[in-house]
Amino acid sequence: MADKRAIALDAQDNTAVAAQDIEPGDAVNVEAKDGSTSSVTATEQVPFGFKISLSDIGDGDKLLKYGQVIGYATQDIPAGAQVHVHNAQGLRVKD
Amino acid sequence: MSFLGYRRPDGSVGVRNHVLVLPGGLVSQKICEFVKGTCTVITPDHGTGRTARDRETVARVMVGLALNPNVAAVVLHGVGPAMQYPELNVNKLAAAIAASGKPVEVVSEQPYKSTLEVYERGIKAARRLVQEASELRREPAADGELVLGVKCGTSDSTSGIAGNPAVGHLYDHVVNSGGTTFFGETTEIIGAEHLLAQRAVNPEVGQQIIDAALEMEETAKKYGDDIRSINPIPANIEAGLTTLEEKSLGAIAKSGTVPISGVLKYAERPADKGLYFVDNWMSSNSIHLGYAAAGSTINLIQWGGGAFVADTLLYPSQGVVSPTIWCTANINTYTACQESIDYYSGTVIEGSETLEQAGDRLIDLVRRVASGTMPKTDTLNYQEANKIYFRDAAF
Repeated sequence: MADKRAIALDAQDNTAVAAQDIEPGDAVNVEAKDGSTSSVTATEQVPFGFKISLSDIGDGDKLLKYGQVIGYATQDIPAGAQVHVHNAQGLRVKD
Repeated sequence: MSFLGYRRPDGSVGVRNHVLVLPGGLVSQKICEFVKGTCTVITPDHGTGRTARDRETVARVMVGLALNPNVAAVVLHGVGPAMQYPELNVNKLAAAIAASGKPVEVVSEQPYKSTLEVYERGIKAARRLVQEASELRREPAADGELVLGVKCGTSDSTSGIAGNPAVGHLYDHVVNSGGTTFFGETTEIIGAEHLLAQRAVNPEVGQQIIDAALEMEETAKKYGDDIRSINPIPANIEAGLTTLEEKSLGAIAKSGTVPISGVLKYAERPADKGLYFVDNWMSSNSIHLGYAAAGSTINLIQWGGGAFVADTLLYPSQGVVSPTIWCTANINTYTACQESIDYYSGTVIEGSETLEQAGDRLIDLVRRVASGTMPKTDTLNYQEANKIYFRDAAF
């Protein structure tokens, strides 16, 4: 089966956006905006438009998209997992 | 030449040729029912019981809409209690409009026995002005004579990857050609305001951008709410956007990459050309009215749609005098709403087009709409009521 696609908005990012529905076990080819590519194996379902983690992210670690901090992990997130409100939160919500 | 438009006495170029009847309400609506080629604004709140600051906003909306290059001539009346406030004095508004050289008829200046008499005068004036406006011809104009406004709606991940960047490509082109572009939605720069401030033409403008975001956060706190519980909206989250910072970083892509020339209030006309941040409210039935009053001749709405493809008959122009182009980069939204969406940039996500190729298609579409092509939603015979963005309480 062909690899699934995800898009990293910046080469520094530890999250990427699923360009199609991703199923557990799928090999995901990650295309960064600068043309570089990497790959990750999905550990769970990541629907089109949702984020997938590109590396193991620790509880409290910063989440990067667009090369910017979009929030932090509220629990350990293994590579290939879905990143969303169940395991992530905005930084400024801490105020 | 890039499009064919109507050249106005003040040198601006319109893409439509309306006769505008003001203020909104029963009298104007009846005049418009009688006379083809007219339009009016529907705002349930005309300013009665509003603070001086908010009444000034009503005045800016009315004068601004009248000065919009898409308006050939204006019929104005002073019927209604709000029009008794000094800010909304009909002769004062008429003088501000007439200063541009645009024909304006005040039909309530003389004493009148009944409102029906104002109808009669208004209908007669509107018929004459419409007929005269029909003598005007489109002339060649340059991309630098475009004035654009944009809102992004029900954002999802496609908005930040392709939808907003495609608009940004258009915006860069128009500003680099000498034109004017507006973007805003202050709640949707929170978390990305530092990046916008870095693009300001000077530190003062940068600080104004930071201050606008901060004021929005503080205002929400004053009401005991956290801005993050208002925005991202549930539809953003259901579509995969997690935090306000993430939404904002995608949202600001619609402003392109050029320097930000200034920060404007709702419905404020810029002193010069360039890219402007407008400190406004995200609601689509408010924001497009404000852009049109600031002079935008075409508005765009960049729709994510994600989890929210419920209403496939999307709204026609909410800028009253300025048409709206509907855009999306989400394949599901585009497929469901093809009868309403004019432009699709999801090709960038699919890899079948570069951002530049997709953005160039949008530039071409804007030129065609500027020359008279109707956006799809403009074919609907429906006008949504507009909400003016008030900053103070009602009294």
